[in-house]
Amino acid sequence: MTFTISTADDGTARLSIEGELDAVSVSELRADMEKLLARQPSRIDVDLSRLRMVDSSGVGALVSLYKRSRAQGGTVVVTGLRDQPLAIFRLLRLDRVMVGAELSTPTPAGTTSSSKH
Amino acid sequence: MTGTLDHRDVTLRAVSAACKLVTRRPQGPTWNEFRMQVVSAVGEAFNNIVLHGYDGRGDGEIEIEIRATLDRITIAMRDYGSSYDPTTVPLPDFESLPESGWGLFIIRAFMDISYTPGRPNVLTLSKTLPPEPDSAEEAANAGSAKGASR
Repeated sequence: MTFTISTADDGTARLSIEGELDAVSVSELRADMEKLLARQPSRIDVDLSRLRMVDSSGVGALVSLYKRSRAQGGTVVVTGLRDQPLAIFRLLRLDRVMVGAELSTPTPAGTTSSSKH
Repeated sequence: MTGTLDHRDVTLRAVSAACKLVTRRPQGPTWNEFRMQVVSAVGEAFNNIVLHGYDGRGDGEIEIEIRATLDRITIAMRDYGSSYDPTTVPLPDFESLPESGWGLFIIRAFMDISYTPGRPNVLTLSKTLPPEPDSAEEAANAGSAKGASR
């Protein structure tokens, strides 16, 4: 799994995840999610268009991001879901609360800083 | 298989390969969904054995037996860790958006399961491949044609 986090001047952020987000790889993501939440972004766009597979551990991390951001007054919008991740989100009914209107179109975001893992 | 998450990928590759034996026809969207569901469920089961059955110790063993026929796959997973019965665990409360507890729900949604606690614990996951929509249609059409010729 690789992921990229970028933040924009307007207080929004974007998290792009590629590959497999599972019990093995999720710990790599959680540390940077903590740093992202510490910035208290008003909106986090989560681009999963290049996510090939997710398991319940990965889902747990994304739900945690969603709930904690909401608790800070922010929003999290998931875009780009397809194939196995889309099936899992639909099965767990997360598409109703976390997914943007356009399931397959990533939301653009301006970038001022980024980190790649 | 050693009961660590590092060995999960090998298991899932084997299961994915075995799914290729479960088809009478060229693989279509129904087969793709079948394989996705089988691999997802086995991955969750492997996680549960490592993280809960063996409590993440990393010194356990998981024995995997895969049986594939033309329309069904069965995966038996044997471990010597703590017993837990996935058939009796309550479903997650969707409304509260829990951050854990989804794994067993995914397993139960995607596959038929049975569990026998003991030494070893045996978790058996099985799934029948539904016919592809076009093959079901062809079968129906063949039946109609047969009926019409009488």
